[in-house]
Amino acid sequence: MLTYVIRRILILIPMALIISFLVYLGLELTPGDAVSHMISPEMMASISAERLDALRVSLGLEQPFIVRYWIWLQGMLQGNFGYSTAGGVAIHAILADRLPATLELSAVALVFSTIFGCVLGVISALKRGSTTDNVLTVTGMLGVSIPEFFFGLVAILIFALKLQWLPVGGRLLPGYDSYWDHLPHVIMPALVLSIMMTAGVMRYARSSMLDALSKEYIKTARSKGLPEWRVNLLHGFRVALTPVIVLIGFRLPVLIGGSVIIEQVFQWPGVGSEFISAVRSQDYPLVMMIALLSVMAVLTASLLVDILTALIDPRVRLDK
Amino acid sequence: MTQDQDVALSVKNLKTFFYTNKRCNKAVNGVSFDIKKGKTLCIVGESGCGKSVTASTIMQLLPTLSRIEEGEITYHSENGDIRIDQLERNGEKMRSIRGSEIAMIFQDPMTALNPVYTIGFQISESLKYHTDLTRTQYKTRAIELLRDMGISLPESRVDDYPHSYSGGMRQRAMIAMAMSCSPKILIADEPTTALDVTIQAQIFELMDTLKKEHGTAIMLITHDMGVVAELADEVAVMYMGNIVEAGTVDEVLRNPTHPYTRALLASIPVLGKGKHQDITAIPGSTPDPYDRPNGCQFADRCAYRIDACDVMPEETQIGRTHRVMCWRHEEVGANAAE
Repeated sequence: MLTYVIRRILILIPMALIISFLVYLGLELTPGDAVSHMISPEMMASISAERLDALRVSLGLEQPFIVRYWIWLQGMLQGNFGYSTAGGVAIHAILADRLPATLELSAVALVFSTIFGCVLGVISALKRGSTTDNVLTVTGMLGVSIPEFFFGLVAILIFALKLQWLPVGGRLLPGYDSYWDHLPHVIMPALVLSIMMTAGVMRYARSSMLDALSKEYIKTARSKGLPEWRVNLLHGFRVALTPVIVLIGFRLPVLIGGSVIIEQVFQWPGVGSEFISAVRSQDYPLVMMIALLSVMAVLTASLLVDILTALIDPRVRLDK
Repeated sequence: MTQDQDVALSVKNLKTFFYTNKRCNKAVNGVSFDIKKGKTLCIVGESGCGKSVTASTIMQLLPTLSRIEEGEITYHSENGDIRIDQLERNGEKMRSIRGSEIAMIFQDPMTALNPVYTIGFQISESLKYHTDLTRTQYKTRAIELLRDMGISLPESRVDDYPHSYSGGMRQRAMIAMAMSCSPKILIADEPTTALDVTIQAQIFELMDTLKKEHGTAIMLITHDMGVVAELADEVAVMYMGNIVEAGTVDEVLRNPTHPYTRALLASIPVLGKGKHQDITAIPGSTPDPYDRPNGCQFADRCAYRIDACDVMPEETQIGRTHRVMCWRHEEVGANAAE
């Protein structure tokens, strides 16, 4: 087990290198270079070619691609993520600003959807065919099929514009920075994101639970005279948990990458909305960095899922 | 049938029906038998004849869309009779009988054990709910049980998960689990169907030992006549939800008086008779359970069919223990004796 984890982490290193290389290559293939981003087109026209070349040499841009990649990678490893071209701000400063907002929103949604999704899914499976199950199934299908932005807009329309209970969007108003001041702001986006995610977990937990309950060992457990809660939870849910863990695990990257759509709809200043504006303003270094972070988050999440699966299911052996 | 001291469980005119899409499947349609202490009752019959449903009914382990329509299941416990059919399905009383008084082992040990718990844990679950043992004693008892069931190195195997057990070992572990609280009755639902022949013999030997040592009454469901001849004290032959013939092993196997029993026996290949022996298969197939014939259920496939068979034959007691449901049992019996 331990050797497997260590090996998986070691495998992560070459994968991360390859991905960083591809991302850097992608940046290289975009039109223009750092100089053309730094200088406005009007000025560019009035500057002589020699001065531009001198500028390129001073920035190290005359060196071959591989060498530049190597220098960039060294910078990365030392925590120097580069600078945003739209404003020259250090990328790590932007991320330090945006990540807490994304974490705040996603963590709430992830915890909420895991707990409620599992509970509702199990109830739905245990009361299969009942009114409760049917209502939950229909609601779940709606939750899975309605697009997030639509759900978000409807929520804004009702709770912010008609009822005026909650603010339309944003995270902090200027001058208000205590936690209680921004609590009203987080409620609606967190709930909308949670409900969307809960629906998926619920559907998944329900079918996985039904599958487990139809197994012969459930009958064995009953034949031993165990009480129903023990049969359902210890024998049914315990086995049904594995696929649910996988689903939740693959949602972990949301913690880093944020939900692009929800953040946009609610003007939430997280990584997701920053990503959109970076793409719009062709801020390639920033796009690249966020993409790289998201990929790393996915890789880490899949490692976590593997380890968790092995921990809860003894049939999964990782040593092979 | 006389009620005597030796009866552990008696079933009278039991009817279990399944309801699907507003149709009714009379899976068990009026079955009566006794399970006697320290004896083995074999229930034989082809697939779908109601053997397993009978077993599940006794344990109250039926699926939701089925119910006991009629009849009595009486468990003669040391503290007086208990009417199992009147107990709530997963109620406290029923749960206290399951596992401790009546235990069950299933057809496929590959799926009957929970894959995410150790064998020791699954055995101790029974102990937890039915005995006064303490947590530390569970393991000692589990090891003891596994050793009794012939599992080598039980001290280390007790902490293993089912997937590292072989099929035969899993069934031994299942039996260990079932026997953990010394039940009075053990119901075995085709316990060896999923195992290979050499392991089958070992499992049956184990069950026979348990019967002799603990006086456990065994209800063994099988479709293997060889097993019946080997293990059974009494036999009940089921067809389409009815017991068509029942009696002691000698009565039923040596002197079958129901055409179905005869046909079953004639369809078994005999070792040593060579490749070219005649095996008589039973013609046709079982009727659709939703569209049953009116009279005798076997009539359409029966060589002895007469007009009277359009009416369900009554059960005839032809010996003290031997009973049969056939209008022409006398002729069939006479033919068998030839």
